[in-house]
Amino acid sequence: METHNFLKNRELPEAIEKKLLEALGKDEKLLFAIVADLTPEATYGDSVIAFCEKRFFVCSDEALREYVYDGIEDCFVKRMYGNARLVFLRDGKKNEILSFTYSVASLCDMAALFIKNVALGEPFSEQLEIVEATYDKLNLVCPKCGRTLIRQGAECIHCQSKSKIAAKLMKYVTPQWKRLLVCLILSIITTAVALFPPYATKTIVDTVIPNRDLKGLATLVLTLFLCYLVQHVISALRGYLLRISGDRIVMELRNDVYEKAQHLPMRFYDKTSTGSVINRISGDSNTIQAFILKITQEVVVQFFMLIGIIVIMFAMDWRLTLLSLIPVPLVVVGAKIFSRKIAPFYKKIWRRWASVSGILTDTIPCIRIVKSFAGEDRAVDRFKKHNAEWYKVDTASARITTVFPCIIGFAVTCGSLLIWAIGGRWAITTNEEMLSLGLLVSFISYTSMFYTPVNFFAYLSDSYQGALAAIERILDIIDAEPEVNLPDAKKVTHLDGRIEFKNVNFSFDKTKKTLNNINLTIEPGDIVGIVGTTGSGKSTLINLLMRFYDNYDGEILVDGTDIKNLDLESYRACIGYVQQEPIMFSDTIFNNIAYGVPNAHVEQVIHAAETSNAHEFIARQPDGYDSMLGERGVGLSGGEKQRLSIARALLKNPSILIFDEATASVDSETENLIQEAIERLISGRTTLMIAHRLSTLKKANKIVVVDQGKIIEFGSHEELMALKGKYYTLIEIQSLAEKTNRARIEAGV
Amino acid sequence: MANYINGDEVRITKVGTCLVDVEFYSGERFEGLEPRRLFPLSGLRNYITLLDSDLKEKAVIRDLDRLMPDSKKAIEDCLEEYYLIPRITAVLNIVEKFGVLKWTIMTDRGERTIRIKNRHSDIKTLYDGRILVRDANDNRYEIPDVSALDKHSQKLLSYEL
Ligand SMILES: Nc1ncnc2c1ncn2[C@@H]1O[C@H](COP(=O)(O)OP(=O)(O)OP(=O)(O)O)[C@@H](O)[C@H]1O
Ligand SMILES: [Mg+2]
Repeated sequence: METHNFLKNRELPEAIEKKLLEALGKDEKLLFAIVADLTPEATYGDSVIAFCEKRFFVCSDEALREYVYDGIEDCFVKRMYGNARLVFLRDGKKNEILSFTYSVASLCDMAALFIKNVALGEPFSEQLEIVEATYDKLNLVCPKCGRTLIRQGAECIHCQSKSKIAAKLMKYVTPQWKRLLVCLILSIITTAVALFPPYATKTIVDTVIPNRDLKGLATLVLTLFLCYLVQHVISALRGYLLRISGDRIVMELRNDVYEKAQHLPMRFYDKTSTGSVINRISGDSNTIQAFILKITQEVVVQFFMLIGIIVIMFAMDWRLTLLSLIPVPLVVVGAKIFSRKIAPFYKKIWRRWASVSGILTDTIPCIRIVKSFAGEDRAVDRFKKHNAEWYKVDTASARITTVFPCIIGFAVTCGSLLIWAIGGRWAITTNEEMLSLGLLVSFISYTSMFYTPVNFFAYLSDSYQGALAAIERILDIIDAEPEVNLPDAKKVTHLDGRIEFKNVNFSFDKTKKTLNNINLTIEPGDIVGIVGTTGSGKSTLINLLMRFYDNYDGEILVDGTDIKNLDLESYRACIGYVQQEPIMFSDTIFNNIAYGVPNAHVEQVIHAAETSNAHEFIARQPDGYDSMLGERGVGLSGGEKQRLSIARALLKNPSILIFDEATASVDSETENLIQEAIERLISGRTTLMIAHRLSTLKKANKIVVVDQGKIIEFGSHEELMALKGKYYTLIEIQSLAEKTNRARIEAGV
Repeated sequence: MANYINGDEVRITKVGTCLVDVEFYSGERFEGLEPRRLFPLSGLRNYITLLDSDLKEKAVIRDLDRLMPDSKKAIEDCLEEYYLIPRITAVLNIVEKFGVLKWTIMTDRGERTIRIKNRHSDIKTLYDGRILVRDANDNRYEIPDVSALDKHSQKLLSYEL
């Protein structure tokens, strides 16, 4: 049998593949196939849709059906909830031919487009190329973790890192190694010194006191004094050094997380609450710092302590040593049980805490809304409720964290009773050679010291788990895929402003398609008006052009280069973007305007403000350009903020200007001012203007009408008016509204 | 204003996948409406909206259980087709590799292995104790009641919740 090579998303089930091959005609070849994951009864199971040049098949275990392209009027994916269907229209009748979950939805989108275009008689080879490109992209996944890669051969950011948490953390430890080493040596000294006092006790009890040796006593007391002095001086020094290195570590870590957070794509922030990001930067880095110090210091110290004590104890009396080892298995087993019980709590507590702080970041910045809807009490109630949830879990874990070590501690103390009982008995009943009183006393001290390192190691895995939860969350950010700049990305200083969208499809998540097969060409110098109902995808179109989202299908070219191949920063620097919601920082007006060009000359800033008609109102402020704005621009009106953000965009002297509803929230006089400003701005640049008020678009030489994620009309004002389509109706409605308005005003006069 | 359907004033018949015809006894009639939940998470049987092919709402059913049996069945069948939220009946295995959780689960639709990208944002516990899971492809799954799962599943889950 000849081998059949065709594109597929995974291996076809054997029975189905056999059935398909049998159904093929003599010279027919399978071109590509999609293995879908639902049976018609909506249970999990394989069914396959496979394509040849003249017809396509849908095949499941039960049946094989074939369809020809001819006569199909439309073909699309009907997205439902958690599942979707491939549907085509023939003779006005709907045929549902395949069910699948969202896992294969994007492939089926492609298939639907393929069927439709082939049926409409588009060149077959071109369609096949699009299909091939889609399959190529499908293979762009990391073989290890299955995440999508940015391009062929790229290294998967996740796999190279998370597996080596230790290596990651070492990055923060290594710069401190000298200091940490000193600390370590110091602490080994203190440990060694700490081992001496019990021994001194023995000498005092056994030789000095019975022999009434005053001189020996003085020497011993002096030695002990020196011991304590050394111990405390050194530990003060060590504490200081440790604090320094610890602070350094946490500072570096925080810097890194913050820096990383700045470079994370919008996709990340769509899904992660800012509260939890803030939490990680402020809280988790401290946990990690504590853990790093524990690992690099305590582990070594406690280990030496353990060895030292055991050696001394054995040297003093091996029988008592064995006795005192009896509770050790108990501690180890106890600690095992403990860490198993406590492990689930760490994540639980953090989640509860995240939701508490989520309310904080949600309500405190929006305090105006809370107040205006008299929502204070409700906010408090909600906060209390979540706080109580946290309390419940935290106290539940407290029961474990406090009770367990107590039980173990009690058992250990009882262990020392054993030594008193048996050792004491030996001391009383047998002669001096067997066991001296001093030996017994100092032995007891060693035993109690002995359990510090034992406990430490027993609970190490537990504190490791606690830290691990924090590390995981930090790495979530540190390892998250940043906005990508290809290594050979082209730096640009100027753009001509030719913009092309080619077959662009985009969805924020797979449940809904936001942009559908966008094809659009904008020439340099064009002034393009983008209109459409709210939620139709206008801002999304701009988001893609700004490269806020990279995970779209198709291509966006600027000056003939795929924007993914352009250096991100330099590319964005060439675009002036006035957002739908003008956003200000809590800084001076001057710095807000100069945000994109920090080293701008004062007069440049003033000029930008003048051009955007902002200068006048700034001049009226008592503090002028030095006026300090509150958080997110509190202290300015909506229109004023809008003009500032226009000034900000203008100062960059961008090659492409984008206005997203720049005049949405102002009166018509201010709108005219802003309009004038915009007109001064746009000469010689490619300009995109999104507007609901169509009168704003007088200057536009091209109009794009977006509807439900599709471009339905494109052309000049006159062309679209002649078309009598959506744009025509929009214009009609608005001018009608204006007319009635005017009539009403005149009637009122 | 929403055109509420309270109970037995309509007859609803299923005419296709996720499609119904609605006939009011007052004589009003709509064809080819698509029933959808207004509260897919919190209200499975209340407030079912009926949309026409342009996604314009034609009526809202207040309470599924107050419809006539045939009409109720028609809507239930449509919702069953529209909403695919497999119920997880057992968690067979959980492995974490390179920061991605891989769950092998048994659901009422069969066995499946899913990838979960982020345990913080993709696994949500609702107030009534249900757990919603979203996989890397935005498919949804539901665990109606963790305590009803077998011991092994509960143990695996206890680390994730
Ligand atoms: N971050 C996001 N995540 C998921 N969906 C989104 C996101 N942002 C927008 N959407 C959805 O995408 C669609 C298009 O949104 P978009 O902001 O592009 O609309 P628009 O045309 O700019 O509307 P408007 O005129 O109101 O500004 C909307 O249905 C919206 O709900
Ligand atoms: Mg918008």
